Amino acid sequence: MKRIPWTLVVFAVAFFVPWLGSRFYTFIATDVAILALFALSLNLLLGYTGLVSFGHAAYFGIGAYTSAIMMKTLGLPFWLAWPAAGLAGGLFALVFGFFCVRLTKIYFAMLTLAFAQIVWAVCFKWNDVTGGEQGMPNVPYPSLGWMAAIPGLDGFRVGDRFYLLTLTLVAIAVAALRRIVASPFGRILTLIRENPERAEFIGIDVRRYQLAAFSIAGIFAGLAGSLFGIFNRGVFPDFAYWTKSAEVLIMTILGGMGHFWGPAVGAAALTILNLQITAYTEYWPLILGSILILLLFAFPGGLVGTTVDLARRLRGGTRGNGGRDARRP
Amino acid sequence: MKRSLLLSLAAVGAVAYPLAAIAADPIRVGYPMILSGPGALFGEPSLKGAQMYVDEVNAKGGVLGRKIELISRDTRGSADEAVRVTRDLILRDDVQFIVGTLTSAEGPAVSPIARENQIVFIAPITKTDQLTAPANLHPYVFRTASTTTIEGRSAAEIVAKWNVKRIGTISPDYAYGQDATKAFIEHLKKIKPDVEIVDQQWPKLGEADYTPFINAQMGKKPEAVFSSLWGGHFVTFAKQAVPLGYFKALNHNFVGAGEAGSIESAKAMGPDYPVGIWSNTYDLFDWPAGPPAHKAYIDRLKAYTKQEYPSSWPITGYISMQFLVEAIRKAGSVESDKVSKALLGLSIDTPIGKQTIRAKDHQANRGQFWGKMKMDPKYPFAVMENVTYIDPAPFMD
Repeated sequence: MKRIPWTLVVFAVAFFVPWLGSRFYTFIATDVAILALFALSLNLLLGYTGLVSFGHAAYFGIGAYTSAIMMKTLGLPFWLAWPAAGLAGGLFALVFGFFCVRLTKIYFAMLTLAFAQIVWAVCFKWNDVTGGEQGMPNVPYPSLGWMAAIPGLDGFRVGDRFYLLTLTLVAIAVAALRRIVASPFGRILTLIRENPERAEFIGIDVRRYQLAAFSIAGIFAGLAGSLFGIFNRGVFPDFAYWTKSAEVLIMTILGGMGHFWGPAVGAAALTILNLQITAYTEYWPLILGSILILLLFAFPGGLVGTTVDLARRLRGGTRGNGGRDARRP
Repeated sequence: MKRSLLLSLAAVGAVAYPLAAIAADPIRVGYPMILSGPGALFGEPSLKGAQMYVDEVNAKGGVLGRKIELISRDTRGSADEAVRVTRDLILRDDVQFIVGTLTSAEGPAVSPIARENQIVFIAPITKTDQLTAPANLHPYVFRTASTTTIEGRSAAEIVAKWNVKRIGTISPDYAYGQDATKAFIEHLKKIKPDVEIVDQQWPKLGEADYTPFINAQMGKKPEAVFSSLWGGHFVTFAKQAVPLGYFKALNHNFVGAGEAGSIESAKAMGPDYPVGIWSNTYDLFDWPAGPPAHKAYIDRLKAYTKQEYPSSWPITGYISMQFLVEAIRKAGSVESDKVSKALLGLSIDTPIGKQTIRAKDHQANRGQFWGKMKMDPKYPFAVMENVTYIDPAPFMD
């Protein structure tokens, strides 16, 4: 059967969202694109390396603050601030990860959480640099005037232009992530997830590979954080709070960590659910919790895992294996 | 794969539905406010007050022949969430005005959103000076709340009358606490130069154990203390301070800004309230010197909320909505630019008297009620005696 390049189709369709003319659709699409990158970066740890991080928001927050401080306080351009945000996220992940990978399982998870809380506390208390509890409102948009020169884009509002920029950057970042997980390096990560002891027996320095994965995940989280800070028109200590880490964890699991695109679908699903529910009721946590429980039971492999499995069964070709994709932990 | 397509279609449908459901007729006003968690103690009644005013206006046929529709959204007390729901209100619910936000983090975060979307934003509660400071002021942001400057200086005027020299402060360590304390100290030193600041305590916002701060402060032996611990934070603090003899050691020379004297805080403490301290509130149900309009307002509020002793926070929402509606009436239009111009220098008669939004900094002359707290056998909680409404006019610059 001929394969349809779904990835390209989705990106191509997403690219035309601003032409729908609704600011609201562009708003959601930007939100989803950025959070999808964030969730995909976590899945490098969760789904591919088998490391459960409860503190992934730390690197998202660090990226957001780095680019906000550079763009707002120092007045530097976006094309400097964005890579710097990734770099900062990666560097901090390298330092924190150095300690975290020395522990396993729940201890690893707790240590990632501890570091994230430290990052949050610093953002919260360091009034002179981070704005403390108030955060840093009013992060400037990157200068996107050059887009006006492109035919067809001249009539667009800044929000639409920023969306196009975001989508392009997210696409590049996601393509890079995809290359990483498909590379021999990515295969070794999967091996470590499946059987760390055996990996060690064949001469792989497990900790070093885990640390590398942790840092790379930090880079992409930082890049997502930078975009989100601008999109959100301000950065706040909440970006690094444990609830943000839990949110991205839910996205990843909801979408399905056994599939590369699972977390992206999870990000879209959770964002839209959240938006719909908060608009109608103040009992949002109750409703959201119930829906999540239902989804997790109905889709044990996540939305994507279960869908792919079902599609396989319906097609009758390769036999379904209960949502147990080869890449599933 | 078919299924994933279906799913995405369903998702798009779910988003598209509410857009279609919007009717074009009423004037839509977004009200982002804390409606869950500890902050809801103040957020909920504020929304009630706004809704009550809207119902009153609608009962009389609305404004410019159009009804007003209030759309509230929970900010969960976080600036991040406040920004998100505000943009959602603007983009999806298509609101023409934003009234709301509570904390000193939420207000300044929402303000740039209002500017970008060119939507008038009225802050009914946020007090930090930074909201309307020259660097942050823009044509669409207005405030009908008091400010940290007004509050700090009003408290300084009270303390200046006492026979005390050694002053201490205890305030939450964030924008509101810092700004209010700064305003208090600067003004007190100006009007009473011989005072000495002997101690400053900065517990974090939401501190659960104030004992170390209380002990440290008592060790420095201040004769009077200024605090801007607000809402539930004051309640927690006072409950721990009373058994330690903190208020007795101060001879009750304690002035609690941050609405420590509001009925909500008094009710929360009941008979444990440290009577004898001074404090402030946005409103009180029994204001003997008040105008008839205030009594009428309290009666309507009692009926509306079915409370025997109505809350002091509805007035914040009530007055901010009143300003908005009067501005729309004056402008004869719902266009942002016209309403924003109409708000400059606008004077209206509110239940607490005449209020004016100054043209130069978009700030209303919103003062507060100050008084000494006492127990009254008529009520099961502490109330204010010798209530004075301190007119902020002299303290605004």
